[in-house]
Order: sequence, then C-alpha cells, then structure tokens
Amino acid sequence: MERAALEDQLRSLQVESTAKIGAAASLAELEELGTALLGKRGALTDLLRGIGGLAAGDRPAIGALANEVRAALESALHDRRAVAGAAELSARIARESEDATTPGPLPALGSLHPIPETISAIAQIMGSFGFTVAEGQEIEDDVTNFQLLNIPEDHPSRDLWDTLYLREPGRLLRTHTSPGQIRTMREVAPPIRVILPGRCFRYEAVDASHGFEFHQVEGLLVDRGATLADLKGILDELARGLFGPEARTRFRPGYYPFTEPSVAVDVTWGGSKDGWMTILGAGMVHPIVLENGGIDPETHQGFAFGLGVERIAMLRHGIPDLRALLENDLRLLRGGR
Amino acid sequence: MKVPLSWLREFVDVQLTPEQLADALTLRGLEVRGLERWGSAWEKMVVGELLEVGPHPRADRLQLTKVRVGRDLVLEVVCGARNIAAGQRVPVALVGARMPDGRVIERAEKMGVASEGMLCSGAELDATDDGDGILILDQQAPLGAPLAGYLGEDVIDVDVKPNRGDLLSILGLAREVAAINGASVGYRRRAVEESAEGIADDLSLEVDDAVLAPRVVLRAVDGVTVGAAPDSVQMRLKAAGLRSVSNVVDATNYIMLELGKPTHAFDRASIGSKVHIRLAQPGETLETLDHVSRTLDGSDLVVADERGALALAGVMGGASSEVGSATKRVVIESAVFAPTSVRRTAQRHSLRSEASHRFERGQELDLAPVAADQVAALLCAWAGGRVRAGFLDSDPTATGARRDLSFRPAHVRALLGVDIPDETQAALLGSIGIGCGKASAAASVQVTRARAVNVESVGLLVATIPAWRRDIEFEVDLAEEVARLYGYDQIAPTLPGRDLPGFRHQPTALRDLLRSQLAALGMSEAVTHALVSQAMGDRHAEPVGLVGGRLAEREGAAHSVQLLVANPLSLDHDRMRRSLLPSLLDRADANIRYGAGSGALFEVGRGYGRDGAGPREWTRLALIAWGEIGAASPGETPRAWSLDEMKRVVSLLSSTAGASPRYAPLADGDSALLHPGRAARIGGEGIAGLVGELHPGAPEWRDAPRMILAEFALEGLTAGVPQVRQLELPPATPPVQRDVALAASDDVAVGDLVALAREMVTLAVRVELFDLFSGPGMGVGERSVGLRFTFQPAQATSLDDAIEDELAAFATRAGERYGTRVRGTESA
Repeated sequence: MERAALEDQLRSLQVESTAKIGAAASLAELEELGTALLGKRGALTDLLRGIGGLAAGDRPAIGALANEVRAALESALHDRRAVAGAAELSARIARESEDATTPGPLPALGSLHPIPETISAIAQIMGSFGFTVAEGQEIEDDVTNFQLLNIPEDHPSRDLWDTLYLREPGRLLRTHTSPGQIRTMREVAPPIRVILPGRCFRYEAVDASHGFEFHQVEGLLVDRGATLADLKGILDELARGLFGPEARTRFRPGYYPFTEPSVAVDVTWGGSKDGWMTILGAGMVHPIVLENGGIDPETHQGFAFGLGVERIAMLRHGIPDLRALLENDLRLLRGGR
Repeated sequence: MKVPLSWLREFVDVQLTPEQLADALTLRGLEVRGLERWGSAWEKMVVGELLEVGPHPRADRLQLTKVRVGRDLVLEVVCGARNIAAGQRVPVALVGARMPDGRVIERAEKMGVASEGMLCSGAELDATDDGDGILILDQQAPLGAPLAGYLGEDVIDVDVKPNRGDLLSILGLAREVAAINGASVGYRRRAVEESAEGIADDLSLEVDDAVLAPRVVLRAVDGVTVGAAPDSVQMRLKAAGLRSVSNVVDATNYIMLELGKPTHAFDRASIGSKVHIRLAQPGETLETLDHVSRTLDGSDLVVADERGALALAGVMGGASSEVGSATKRVVIESAVFAPTSVRRTAQRHSLRSEASHRFERGQELDLAPVAADQVAALLCAWAGGRVRAGFLDSDPTATGARRDLSFRPAHVRALLGVDIPDETQAALLGSIGIGCGKASAAASVQVTRARAVNVESVGLLVATIPAWRRDIEFEVDLAEEVARLYGYDQIAPTLPGRDLPGFRHQPTALRDLLRSQLAALGMSEAVTHALVSQAMGDRHAEPVGLVGGRLAEREGAAHSVQLLVANPLSLDHDRMRRSLLPSLLDRADANIRYGAGSGALFEVGRGYGRDGAGPREWTRLALIAWGEIGAASPGETPRAWSLDEMKRVVSLLSSTAGASPRYAPLADGDSALLHPGRAARIGGEGIAGLVGELHPGAPEWRDAPRMILAEFALEGLTAGVPQVRQLELPPATPPVQRDVALAASDDVAVGDLVALAREMVTLAVRVELFDLFSGPGMGVGERSVGLRFTFQPAQATSLDDAIEDELAAFATRAGERYGTRVRGTESA
C-alpha cells in the first residue's frame, strides 16, 4: 500500500470516528466505540497492519500519524466520557431522588426511671470522690436498724421512724439505709468511703410527698481525720453535681441519734421556686456507732449522710407528685416522647 | 411546739422580729416549721366602743346598740347577749366580715331594725369557749383598731427533737433566745399564800418504787370555783394549740407550757386519804378521761388511792377523779416518772398526750415542787382557791444536780475541722448556761458509755451541765453544742484528702450498662412496689429449683414462701413480692388502658422469700413488652414484640453479662402467668428464669396487643462489672459452615436439640437455628430443624475430619434420644 493512501485512511478514520464519538450518548456506547477503534482488534490496529507493506523510509511518518490519530481519538473519548458521565450521574441522581425531609420512623423509645437514674447520678458524683456503692439488705433486724445506731428500745427518738414489721420475730423492713453503716464498718476496715442506696419502708400514709416505700442513699466516710468541714465540702460538691453549679447549700443543726453533731442540709439553686429546700440529713458518725461498728472512736472519725431519692428526683425532673413515680405511666417515663 | 411570742417575751427580751427569730432558731437547730399570725383570719373586725345599749323595740331577747368603730363612724347593731353595757369595748364584725365558721356578716333586718354588723362572742371568734356573752375587751383596747392586730398573736411552731425535752417549754426556748441575743432569762415565780390548814391533815403519799417515780409532789387547794379561765388565758392556750377546758385544767396546761412540767389536778372529794404511786394489779381496770375503760397491765404505773387506780401515771387521768363544775377542792400532783415506763404505758394503751410526750423525754426533778406551786398560785388567781400549807413530797432530796463533764477543746477542733480557741468554746457554752472552767487535775473524758480516756489537765476544760440538759452525756455532745452555737455557716468547707480507700469497681457498673442497653432497645424502666396484695403475691412465684444454674441453687427454696407484714398499712400491701412480674404486668395493663398500644417496661428489683435460714432477698430483671417495636415507615410492616424478639433482648443482655442462655420447655406448675405453649425456661451459664407470652386465661390478656414477659436472674446483676473479653487474633483461613437439617417430631423441643448440638459439637464457635418448617416435604406431625454450625479452623482443612466426626456423632445421638433423622447436610 502506498503511504498516501494509508495516510488518507487514517485521517478519515479520525474524522469519522471523532464524529461518532461526539454523537455517542452513553458511557457504554463510548466504551464500545473505544474498543472498536482503539482495541486490540480495533479499526486503528487494523489499519496499521498495512504498515508492513510500506517502504521503510515511510514507516516513521505513518507511525507518527497513527499516534497522533490515537491520541486525538483518546482525547475525544475522554472528553466525551466526561460529558456523558456527568449526564448519567445527573440522570441517576434525578432517578433516585426522594423526599429526604420526611421525619423518619421513630425508634422504640426507652427511658431510665428517675429513681434509679438519680441513684446512678449520685453514685457517679460520689464515685469521683472515691465512694463506691454497697447495697445492703432490705429486711433488717431491730438491733441493726435501731439499737446499734444508738436508737435504744423505748427511746422517744423511735417516733422518728414508723416501722413495718415482718411476722418473722425480730425482723423488720429497714426504715432507712443507715443500718448499712454498721454492716459496712463491720466488713470493711477504714479508710471507708461508701454509698448505700436502696429501698426503705415506713408505716406512713401516702401523699404527694410521702410513700410507705421510698429510696434513700446513705453515704459513709470513716478515716483518721474526717471533719465536719469535710462533710460540708463533700455535700457542697454533691449538691452542685445534682443541681448544677448554681446550687447553694445551707447547713443547720439537725438531730439524728447516730450522728453528733448532726446536720440538716437545705439547697437552693437557679431553678428552684421555693427557696431553701431540705434535701438531706447528715453528721459526724456518733462515737457509739463507730464503736458498734468495731471502730475505735479515739483513732477514727467519720461522717455520714442520708438523702431521700424521690425528693431529689422530683426536684431534678420537675415532678410535683411522688405518687407519679410509682405509677410508671409511659407518657411520664418517656418524658412526653 | 407552738409558742405565742407575747408569752415568750414575758420570759426574755426577744428583740428580734418574728422572722428574724425564726431564722435564728432554725440556724441553731431549733427548726421553726411555721410562723403564723394567730387571729389573722379576723378580717373586717375591729375594736368598738359601746355608746348606747338599749332595748329592742319589738324583741325582748334582743338589745339595740350604738357602737363606735372609728372616730366618726357609729353603727347600729342588734345584739342578743346580755353581758354588755355602754362604755365597754367589744369586738365588732363589720358587714362583709367572714366568721371562722364561714358565715359572712351582712346588713340585716332584725325584727324591723337594721343591724350593721355583729358584736362577737369569744366562741364566734374561735378565741375562747364562751359562746354566751360578748367578748369584753380591755378598756385600753384602741378604738377602731383591727381585731387581728389587737388580739392576734405571732406564733412560732418549733420542731423540738426527741433529745431536747427541755425545749418543750417557753422557759427552755427563752434560754435559747437568750443565747442568741445575749439577753437574760427571767422567770417570775408567782408567790403563794398558804392557809392554816395543811395538806398533810387529811392526805398522805406513798411511792412504791423510787426508780419508776423518783419524785412525786402533791399540793392541795381548797375553795376553788370551777369555771372558765380568763379570756386572755383561753386565747393564749388556743394560740399555743391547746383546748381550753376549765380554769383548773387550763392552769395545769398553762404551767406545763411555761415550764415543760406536766401536772395533774384531782378532785379532792373523789379520792381517799392516801395517794399511792404503784404498779397496777394485772387486770385492774381504769376509766380514763377519754371515757375508755382500760384493763391495766402489771407494768403500768398508776396513781391510786386506797380504793384503786385513779390515773395512768404521766399519761392520762381517770374519769372518777376528774375535776368538774362541782369540784371545790383540788389536789395537784406534780411528779417525775421514769420515761421508759411512761412510754410503754402510753404505747400499750395507744394514748399519747401532751403530758406523756414530755414525760417520755425526761423531767427535771427540781421542777416538781415548782410546778405544783405555780399551778396552785394560778388556782388562787383564777378560781379563788386557798392553798393548804405544805407539800407532800416523796423525796425532797431528789434534785437535779449539775454535772461536770470534762472535754478536750482540741478534740472539738479536730472533729469540726475549724480552729475555735478554748476561750471561744467556753464562751459559746456559757451562753446556754453551760459553765466552763479549767481542769485542776487530770480527768477522764467520756467518749462513749463504754469508753473513757484519761487526759492531763492541760488539755481539758470542765463543763458544768445544768440539770435541764439531760441530753448532754459525752464529749461529742459538747462538740455539737459548740458547733451549733458557733454557727455551721461559719465553718469553711474542705474536702477530705487524707485517707483514700484503694480502688474498687462500682459494683453497679454492669447493671447500669444493662439498663442503658434496655433503654436503647426501646424499653422504659419502671419501679414498682415491693409490698403487694395477697392476690398479687399468690399469682406468680418462680418455681423452686428452677434451673440447675448456680443462681437458682443459691436462692432455691426461698421462692415458695411469702413474707408477711405483721402491721400492714392496708391489705393491698401486706406482703413482700416474690416475683416482679405481677407488679410489672399490672403496670403494663394500666398503660394499655391509658392508651399505650405499644410499649415495653423493665425493672431491676428484688424478690423476697424465706428458707430455712430465714428471710431472703434476690435481685431480678423483669421485662414486659407489647405491640410494635418502634414505628415503621409508611408502607413498611412494623416489627412487633414476640417471643423471638424478647429472646433477642435476652441474648443481647446475656452477651453483655457474659451469660449464655439456653431454652428448655416449661414444666407443669412453673407459672400460671405464662402461656403454656408459648413459654420456656431460660437456663444456661449465668442466667436463670422464664420467658413467654401472657397466659390467655389471665385477666389482663388481650387478643391484641399480646404481652411478652420475662424474668430472670443474671450473674453480675447484683454486683458485677462488664467483662474484659479475651480476644484472639483471627486465623487467616475463613470460617467454615455446615448446615444440618433434621426431621424431628413436633413434640421434640428445638431448645433440647440446640443444647445437645452445643454439647456435642464442641468445635463449633456458633450454633444457630437457621430454618424451621413443616408442611410440604415433611411427614405429618414432623418438622424440619435446620441447624447451622460455624467453625473457625486455624488452617485450611485442618479440622475437616474432626468436624465430620462430631457432626455425625451429634446426628446419631439426636436420633437415639429424640428420634430425629438427618434430612441433609450442606457445606458452605
């Protein structure tokens, strides 16, 4: 074949093919065209088979031209692919579009109950001061629930705790978490830092702020130098942990047979409507109680506090009536969700 | 204790406003529960002056008055009372005033004459008991002044703690006020003039047991006229919350409030010649003042005469010797009784009185003659009595001596964590009458009843405790006084930083994680009563020896016995629950009734029972769910709670807790709450319980939504931390799966086949049920159970033979034990 004829063929292949590429509408078509023109058995390769019949001197020029054609076609294919690709992507996007602004189906909404949740919150706050949880027994005996806590039989202070008794002789439902102080001191050597959360029982009529079953969290620290000032410090932190950095406390003398001095603690904070609210009782562990716990009151001293979980939960969650906490209405538990 | 402030001011110069006083007392530990203005309800009532009192033109029983209620305001008021005269000052209720009984005063025509208000009796004002006559006011009463301002009283209500019986008196509170403002306390004892006759002329006193009655004092008053106490006294008692009875009884109550010392007045004519303080004869009867006839116990202390019991000592008087309108002579008994004895008697007879309340908290020996004397003085003033000469006194030597108590001011500082110098401590104690001096010699410091330490004089102060502070026994009691008087607000908070216990995991960590997972799964935590009714308590008990797991063994027999409350508040809560399920079911049912078509509740709580060793408590997780799980998209079918969905929850929790649940068929009697055909026992390592659909016979059952229940013990629920899992590098070879399809009779439990597979195919890392069907291709009463075993060989083909051996052995054993045959096997 002559060089000129081959050159013509190559040029017309370029012209025709460029037109075809320009007319191709899809990536698939371009893919096909690419193979048909530039593949191993494509048109260009086909034409170049004729190169063998040329004079040796003509070959470089034809080779250069063939490369030029190949480059031009590849470039045309590339450009056309970009255009077709973008069009296909738009088409896909248009095809697959939906209204993504629908609210989406709700998951099953669960929740944690304010009472155990408040206990967890207290455990977490106190945990940062090295207090760990110990849960005592709810069925107690008179000795541990009262006598070892310096509440003798026939003492008028017994009037502070109206008690539910079991038919089992000597057994009662604990009226407070304080017997846990005795049990802890007898089991663990100082230094002691524990909180004792749990259910308590009283012979008490139910109203908006009282129930015959309720929860308390007891705190107990015994070491070689605990002071009333330390108790104030710890309870300040607890109050802030529970009611926010705005919370302020007021400490005033209280009375519990098992602490001396005894403290009543009031709290107020930004969100509180009613001024000072009493949230807990506390004090330095009475030497008699330390002694009953097997700890020498001359070498160790400690403090204890007890708070009513329901009251704190009500204040934190804005629940006005204690009875709602045991109603377990999902509308309340889920927070209206 | 309610204290009218005018009364308190008779004892001490208060100086503070009522609000300041309330705050100051509260900050010193005398919590003021309330501050009220007694009489504040007397709105539109004023002090009036009667200008004219004349006959009513048409009604004999009425009088026509002109009463001035302001400088230029004179009203015409019709009045029915007879005790009025011109010139008197009287309370006038103006038109629009609302009386304490709710009646509103209107302009009214009374027998043809317009009445522009009402003159009020003490009873109409709820101020005294006199309903017959108009309450005649003092001549100095300011004309036109609002009655609430003139007659009203500021009253503080102090919550007196059980250890401070001394504060159940105006005198005691006055001492605390004096400590606040530095004023001094003055109690003006009323002088008594004695007549020629002596009390001992016709009366004697015998006390059997000086421990039960350390001091008894009698005083006699003759010639009394029983009637109403003066208006001002009646109003004062009323403001203090006491009922006015008669001048004699009011006198005893008046002194009780002043001094904290209860006394009792007997009608002299109704008692014999000897007052005998003794224990009751068992079975002896006494009609008390409340007209209840009481059978006495041999340990009740009584005041008796030679004929029988007259009164329950320190608790309540008897009807037979009650002072009445005919009484002319009175014997006043003023005694100190043992607190425990009074408390037991009051409890035994369910008789709590103002007197027993004070006796239980202890009495001051010295006050016995003082109180008798003061009541006698009041009887002279209010009832025209003549006091007989002398006292009968069981033990004039029984006086409340001051006690010395040594303490270490340095120990007080160490306990309080604040540097209060010795002199300041002494001064603070001095302000409430506890004198302090330096110790002259080494002395013993009382730490507890059992413990005293000997201390050199240099580190000691000696406090002298007045008789009324019976509560101060130990060094620490003085520390509290110092702290309280110093002011808790003056103590700067610190944080304890010295002794820290070693690290311990929060034992609730695992429980809290499980609770969070349940909440994330869409379940809401509940807290229900531990005390339940018989119906609820009987309803469900987890069966004894439920599953062979460790958990069940520990709690075994206790499940069957319910714990009963000896003094239940109501039958709805008279026993301890064994299982959480009935309470939770009750709450689920309530929620469905409230309109919750779907929902899920869980509770971590305790069950209670008794075994041979006594009462037991155990912790359980209970779940109940009904309806749909979350919402579906439009057009999508929502997932609904089912036995399998509940098992999915059980599996997730188990995986967190490191337990592996297996399911076994329910046995007869396992539970009346669960659908016998749609329930299973949960067993396996670390978990034991039940799961199933609500029994169709249960009253809460509905065709829709169906309720699915579960309750189980889980290792680590009581105390546990999330497990630290041991992880292995995965081998390069992919896992291998083998599917085995067995044809099994319908009555073969899949749980049993799975359990057998797990037991025998030990090389499998997982055994799953991937297929379960009956029908085409299966015989009648037969189903196909497809089990998928996953193996993780360490090297390619290294396990092939062993796997095939184990699978073959399993198929053979299943065939022998459950009559299954292999339908096919497949490798993947």
